Amino acid sequence: MAAIQDFDRRWIFLVMGVLVTTLYALGIAKELTRSEYVDSYYATIEALPEGSVVMLSADFDPASAAELLPAYTATIHHLLKRRLKVINVATWPAAPPYTRGEFNQIAPLYDAVYGEAWVSMGFLPGDDVAMGNIGQSMRSAFPEDDVTDTPYDELPILADVGDNMEGIDLLITMSAGYPGILEWIAQVGGRYDVPILAATTAVQTPDLFAFYPTQCVGFLGAATGATRYLQLVDELTEGAVEEPKLKNQKRMMVQSWAHMFMIALIVIGNVIYFMGRSRERRATA
Amino acid sequence: MKREIPILLTVLSGLAIIWSFFSSYPVADAANTELLQWALIFFSVAFILGIANLVRVSLKQISSGHSDSIYKIVLLVVLFGYLFIGLAEHHEWFGASSLGGEGSVTVKDWVYSKMFIPLQATMFSLLAFFIASATFRAFRARSLESTLLLVAGTIVMLGQVPLGEEITGGYAPRWLGFLMVYINAAGQKAIIIGATLGVLATGLRIVLGIERSYLSE
Repeated sequence: MAAIQDFDRRWIFLVMGVLVTTLYALGIAKELTRSEYVDSYYATIEALPEGSVVMLSADFDPASAAELLPAYTATIHHLLKRRLKVINVATWPAAPPYTRGEFNQIAPLYDAVYGEAWVSMGFLPGDDVAMGNIGQSMRSAFPEDDVTDTPYDELPILADVGDNMEGIDLLITMSAGYPGILEWIAQVGGRYDVPILAATTAVQTPDLFAFYPTQCVGFLGAATGATRYLQLVDELTEGAVEEPKLKNQKRMMVQSWAHMFMIALIVIGNVIYFMGRSRERRATA
Repeated sequence: MKREIPILLTVLSGLAIIWSFFSSYPVADAANTELLQWALIFFSVAFILGIANLVRVSLKQISSGHSDSIYKIVLLVVLFGYLFIGLAEHHEWFGASSLGGEGSVTVKDWVYSKMFIPLQATMFSLLAFFIASATFRAFRARSLESTLLLVAGTIVMLGQVPLGEEITGGYAPRWLGFLMVYINAAGQKAIIIGATLGVLATGLRIVLGIERSYLSE
């Protein structure tokens, strides 16, 4: 045991650093197999008629962007390609710049006009209370939009959106933690009977199995789910998300080897532990 | 009265929210919306209080010559500098600002994307190194429970990545699915139901005025 405790952990840091950077530089990409949860996420969006209104909530920040931003990008492409109207909201203060950045790049590809095809309502403080308020009354939660400060009633996209989630056909959250998917389910999903989809970080993904497929009809679990979804959206959009798809496929191979390294460390650590224990037993016998 | 009025306000607010859940009267919805609006205003005011407290603590440390003074100065400069940039751009104090480029990048967005995002992403990325070190030092098969945890962790790590799927001949995702759908979901549901009942009981105690710890009693 002393050998393990005394081992200089900087060697582990070094191997991990070299492994990750080398593999990333090599750029090996691999197509991932499909998953029921990702297929359900994709199919739910596909099933919506053209012109349906989708609320897309950005509930993340830069710390979780590596996992959630690819899913966010792919979802925006999917929604705009299908000619669905997108209302963007955020319950995390660091999220709105992502909304502006992504939509500024993606919306022109699909001729999506601001205020008609998509709108950014911005960040609302208050965590789950804010979610409750959005569900109860969009108008009181967001009297004007975040980009042009246009009053709620003058935005064409919100013409049919009323209180109690009236006019919202689907809610999608990019959930990094609290507040996120679990709070949306509690505050809005159950109360107003709006179907909910989610993209989540690896840490939060296990929570969702208890809610699938009733309260959460589909989800993209971590970078793996995002990569699988990017593959589907890339096929639909005929290569519009080729770059993030390849990037994520490469990341998945890097992650694969990082996981293998950690499994190897577990095995080595346990071998040393059991060897030390049997030596101690022999010494005391 | 110092005690009765807050309790009365809590009871009335709690009952109004509960009433709106079960009632279709427009007045119930209106009351709920109004209360939620108030709550949001409180949250926003809390931000201001938070900033005021941060400034107070930081100034105290700077004036006492604390060893972290330099970091506190950086903190205050960045806090108020970014706030100023945001306000100046929003209200166009110096005219419409833009750094040009795709989607006309503002100074506020530039600072966000070139400084805040890389810094926060770097902090989070360090986890990979610490987790690797922790697996070597702490993941031991000392007991039945820790062995189960170790096996489950290994299955999750194998099942989540394409290489794990390949080397186990496609079995790792199936084992992962079994763990998640049956064992994890069952445990999660039990915990959620238990916790929700606890929250319900606590909520009722507060609404009925039995629980008064929020009044420092």
